[in-house]
Amino acid sequence: MPLQMLKRDTAEALTLEWFLHVRNYRLILDKNLCVGCQICTLACPKEAIKLEKQPKIQGEKAKHAKINIDLEICNFCGICDILCPYGAINVTVNGEHVLSVVEKESFPQLIRNIQADTSKCPVDCVECEEACPLDLIKVTRLTADGKVVEDIDSLTEKEKAELQVKIDIEKERCPCCRICEFKCPEAVMRVRKFFHGKMLIHPEKCPESCTDCLDVCPITGALFLSDKDKKVYVNEMFCVYCGACKVVCPVDEALELKRTKISHTPVRSGAWNKALERLASPIEMTKELKAKGSQKAMESVEKRLGWKAT
Amino acid sequence: MAQKEDETEESRIGVFICHCGLNIAGVLDIKELVEFAKTLPDVIYVKDNRYTCADPGQDEIRKAIKEYKLNRVIVAACSPRLHEPTFRRTVSEAGLNPFLFEMANIREFSSWCHPNTPKEATEKAKDLILMAIAKARLLRPLETMEVPVTNKALVIGGGIAGMNAALDLAEMEFKVYLLEKNESIGGHMAQLDKTFPTLDCSLCIEGPKMVDVGRHPNIEIIAYADLLSVSGYIGNFKVKIRKNPRYVIAENCTGCSECKDVCPIEYPNEWDIGLGVRKSISVPFDQAVPLVYTINKDYCIECYKCVDACGARQAINFDQQPEEIELEVGTIIVAIGYDIYLPYDNPLYGYGKYTNVITSLEFERLILAAGPTGGKVVRASDGQKPHSIAFIQCVGSRDINKYPYCSNFCCMYTLKHVIQLKEKYKEDIEVYVFYMDMRSNFKGYEEFYQRARELGVNFVQGRVSRVFEVPETKNLIIHAEDMALGQPIEVEAEMVVLATAAIPKKGTGEMARILNLTCGADGFFMESHPKLKPIDAPTDGIFLAGACQGPKDIPYSVSQGSGTASRAATVLSKPTWKIEPIIAVVDPDKCRNVTTKCGICAQKCPYGAIKAEEGKPAQVITAMCHGCGTCVAECPADAITQMHFTDAQIFTQIRAALKTNPEDKILAFLCNWCSYAGADLAGTSRFEYPPTIRPIRVMCSGRVDRDFVLEAFRLGAGMVMIGACHLPYDCHYINGNWKMKARMDALTPMLHKLGLSPERFRVEYISAAEGVKFAEVVREMTEQMLALGRDKIKAENEKLRPILEKMLKRKKII
Repeated sequence: MPLQMLKRDTAEALTLEWFLHVRNYRLILDKNLCVGCQICTLACPKEAIKLEKQPKIQGEKAKHAKINIDLEICNFCGICDILCPYGAINVTVNGEHVLSVVEKESFPQLIRNIQADTSKCPVDCVECEEACPLDLIKVTRLTADGKVVEDIDSLTEKEKAELQVKIDIEKERCPCCRICEFKCPEAVMRVRKFFHGKMLIHPEKCPESCTDCLDVCPITGALFLSDKDKKVYVNEMFCVYCGACKVVCPVDEALELKRTKISHTPVRSGAWNKALERLASPIEMTKELKAKGSQKAMESVEKRLGWKAT
Repeated sequence: MAQKEDETEESRIGVFICHCGLNIAGVLDIKELVEFAKTLPDVIYVKDNRYTCADPGQDEIRKAIKEYKLNRVIVAACSPRLHEPTFRRTVSEAGLNPFLFEMANIREFSSWCHPNTPKEATEKAKDLILMAIAKARLLRPLETMEVPVTNKALVIGGGIAGMNAALDLAEMEFKVYLLEKNESIGGHMAQLDKTFPTLDCSLCIEGPKMVDVGRHPNIEIIAYADLLSVSGYIGNFKVKIRKNPRYVIAENCTGCSECKDVCPIEYPNEWDIGLGVRKSISVPFDQAVPLVYTINKDYCIECYKCVDACGARQAINFDQQPEEIELEVGTIIVAIGYDIYLPYDNPLYGYGKYTNVITSLEFERLILAAGPTGGKVVRASDGQKPHSIAFIQCVGSRDINKYPYCSNFCCMYTLKHVIQLKEKYKEDIEVYVFYMDMRSNFKGYEEFYQRARELGVNFVQGRVSRVFEVPETKNLIIHAEDMALGQPIEVEAEMVVLATAAIPKKGTGEMARILNLTCGADGFFMESHPKLKPIDAPTDGIFLAGACQGPKDIPYSVSQGSGTASRAATVLSKPTWKIEPIIAVVDPDKCRNVTTKCGICAQKCPYGAIKAEEGKPAQVITAMCHGCGTCVAECPADAITQMHFTDAQIFTQIRAALKTNPEDKILAFLCNWCSYAGADLAGTSRFEYPPTIRPIRVMCSGRVDRDFVLEAFRLGAGMVMIGACHLPYDCHYINGNWKMKARMDALTPMLHKLGLSPERFRVEYISAAEGVKFAEVVREMTEQMLALGRDKIKAENEKLRPILEKMLKRKKII
């Protein structure tokens, strides 16, 4: 079969494909998972991904931006897949989710540091499951012989004491907002963010009664509407710095978002340096280069940006 | 143009009238011709010989030149196409400039074609002699020019034809630049698995040749580069080339492949026709020459893993820029090859729609052990080996709606494929070939066809009408007509292979523009002459090898490569190159381009030999001028002169031809290569036609100025005819005939409006082979002339004359 390049856009998903005679590259963007943040558009080394803002309809909630990917430019490298905080993009080769950029260590993976010490879990507690804004946590109880118990109330106290709690988390979709950790009564959950940064809202610059940022924020509680002045404020404890809010904010300087650090597995990669430069800032990138002692890369960056890193 | 201005010295003309045994003397009254010639002014000496071209005849000419101090010589004998070079040599041996010689063609144009009207034939011969003498008075000595030759060659295209040309020239100790657009030389042959009819591995025989080319001290490969421009002329071409950035420093790259191993990015390999993938830093195939890796920045994510892997070799440079270089070469060999037609636009075969329909070149990559499937023939739909394959021939080729020509090698490569399949899978595979005709001429090819038949391949003669896919199995149903059964048939196959047409390489048109070449109706480059100059381009010093001139198989391409090398060597081996002095010259005082933006000559020149820079007089690049005279006829200021065919010379021929009884004569302007040769053929074939025509030879019909036609009618010519090479591609000066056509298409309605009967002026396209047609045209025109009658013609002429006189006076022609 001659090379075929396909692009399908449905309500559910955007699919890009290369069909070679005995090889198939596929990228699927799950539209139900995509929150219209800016991460993939910034991360794409070929700048193949574009955000398409949705027009605001008066009286309705703001809608998050949509993602479009240019089939002519996309090279199926999978960097968008790696960096998507919500796990909305999936790149496969012949149906297998093995990314060459990871295998060849030319791009790092995000570190999703999520730990759950289930030994401390009260058997009837489902706080984390209920707290997760993205429904990624599933709490189950198992009997000693590994059977799932559905109706916990029918058990005796003795039987309850013998149960084991199991917490399943869809880690690859988790943006690490830490709400579960905060809500956990027994300090079972321990979550570290992978995006670090600074998020500020200047309420004096916000348009009257605008809640666009809040409308699109996927993390319940990261943004909240103040009863006092009816303005949106940020709770940095839960913010994952994805930038979905920044994309829809109608005023230039009302919302300030800065990513400073990204937790990732160690690599030496120009592609990562550039991604970091775009996702955070050139300064953050040079800081990391310095920490890694990548002298040659530093020099080329300094030459390109025309400054001397301190 | 005032005809007197060219006359300086007094003419002393010698006329030699040949009997040609009885060929001329048997019809014409030689004595009368001699007496006639003696009466003409400036004629000092007249002599008749039995055979002027024989040694005694030539001796007489040489003697007479010396004895009578002749400064012009006329030989009234056969066609100048036959003996002009002979007599030019004769007169130059006697110290006379060869261009002061003129011939009167009284054999082919008179005695041979008018055997039954000797009186009229003699009258015609007198006119021919008169015309020759008139022209002779105005002849000027001309010197053959010599230009220096750069003894280096450029070969464009590193396929099997180009490589052979380069190797042969290099072996002759000429420096050769081999320009290749792709990353590696090798061309299509390097993509093939086996070659017919010997079934030896293609790359195994081509690989060593590629290495030879790469290592030869006289060959410099410039790969991954584009031709930007070519200027200059034979012996002295200046070539601009852009080397595209590989982002790898060729000198530092050792071809170790360590960078490729660490590269994470894959993209469809165009070398595999997109069937397989290659890395973002890679070579298209392992045996590439030069073995230098290339980064494809369209796909590269710049992770710099390759930089780390390359390490101390430091061969990778992401900042590399395109580089322009200039070369000077004496000759250029064009061997840019062909492309394969992808039948996306033909819904009958379902290519691009049905998964298991592929082209033959794709099949080639499948069955190749080094290909993307490791030599396994598998279906794209399920990865399984098919149990039945149908081959469909002539997809696009021999199709009047697509490519009317035969693509030459498809029958043979399909035979190769079916033999390979049968020998590899034996009884496990059923093979069908749907063909129109099986073309297996050339050595060993028919035996190869026989071998395929003996292996049990099903050959079905008949056109395929439609291919359908069975959605569940992805098998294909082929509907065809079986000519043997005389009825439609249906065959189910698990895979369909299309033998698609070979088409001109993408960029052939652009290359033609840069090199000033022409393309035929099929889009391939045109050769200078289909029989006798099959590998010469119409532009001197440029040669064509391989499939860029038309589809060719490997042995044919190799032969042509060597052929062009030998043709190129005829130029390169000389320190200087002689150029015919029959060229155009611009009079800077008359050229309008000085004051206004004209440049018409530069636009009309078929060879791009004229430069017209703003504010400066146009300039003819002598060595590029082929001497067709098209610019001379086009020049609105009559500022250009064609040497040996000046306006004054042609006007005086017209006047001589129409001196007596013009209304009974047909004045004809015949181009040297086609219609003059056609008229010659009418003579040698003894086709008889009325002796009414008075032909004037021009090199190209493009030379025929509209003023020539006007002057002829002013003088009262009965009929005027222009004879040219056939449209569209027969012109020996690329497209002079088209320029003439445009000019005359504008003139004709004007003449009609002025009251000229339409049949009195016509343009005829007569090839060198159409003696019959020439005779017929003259017969027909004579009949028309007689039908119109002298009185009507005279009356029309009376009406026309004052207007024509006014027009010609305005141009100071009369």
